[in-house]
Amino acid sequence: MHNKVYRLALAAIAGATLLTAAPAYADGNVQCKSGPVKNWKPIAKMKKKVWMEGWELLKLQVEGDCYEVYARNESGQSIEAFFHPVTLEKLLVYRRGSEIYRSPTFPK
Amino acid sequence: MSRIVWKALCWAILAIPGLGMIWQFSHNDMLAMDILHPSGEISIRLMILAMLAGPLSEFFGLNRFFRAWLAMRRNLGVAAFGYAILHLAFYFLDMPDVAAVLDELGIAGIWTGWLALALMIPPASISFDKAMQRLGRKWKMIQRLVYAALIISLVHWLLLDWDWWPAFIHLAPLMIAWGLRWSSARRKASLLRSI
Repeated sequence: MHNKVYRLALAAIAGATLLTAAPAYADGNVQCKSGPVKNWKPIAKMKKKVWMEGWELLKLQVEGDCYEVYARNESGQSIEAFFHPVTLEKLLVYRRGSEIYRSPTFPK
Repeated sequence: MSRIVWKALCWAILAIPGLGMIWQFSHNDMLAMDILHPSGEISIRLMILAMLAGPLSEFFGLNRFFRAWLAMRRNLGVAAFGYAILHLAFYFLDMPDVAAVLDELGIAGIWTGWLALALMIPPASISFDKAMQRLGRKWKMIQRLVYAALIISLVHWLLLDWDWWPAFIHLAPLMIAWGLRWSSARRKASLLRSI
């Protein structure tokens, strides 16, 4: 009886997880294909871009060949965004692991 | 050395990473968001360490090393819960207000974390001798919630990072230990049948 309840509960959790996780994609290996670092726009310009988005910048770092930004958007939501270091185009935005924006020029 | 001294030493060692995190945060060396990952990871590692003692001691047989590990098992479990609470505290510090916390509740990567923490509460709250004596067989049943808590914690991690390897690498030792226990149980059963 207990085993049955246990298995049912685990199946329900797994199902609910899959349902609510459906729009999310991998952010572990985002590749911007940005080429040599000497062509990258400086960090200061990246910061200005974040400011122009209307976001509150929490942290900015280089992740692989992308600029990775941790910020709070206009609604106060914690977000993680990837920008192309050469064009400073906003490529991807995640909210707690769920993808909420993908640039039309950035293929899956 | 007396049991109390050992226990105090064990807790001092277990507390070092947490105190380091609090120190770095309070001295502005690290942001709350930077501590989320390490505090969660330590919680999972301690949970795994607590869960490894049983199957490994069954496979290799009880010796001084495994006896000490088994004796520490409950402390490791409670420490895992402590780090999960620390993880939650830094999550709250990272958020602007409670409304923002509530707003995120529906995200799979977030509610799985809350669920894992909720599942850790009953086993952690009965991790003392008197509860063990009073609850009898029920005590072990309640402790088994840790298995579900671990799996959901790993799902929580996976949904936030979307990187399979770290979660898998953490689960691998436990899978090997469970495999060893299963093979040893099978060997014993076949030996008994042949007698």
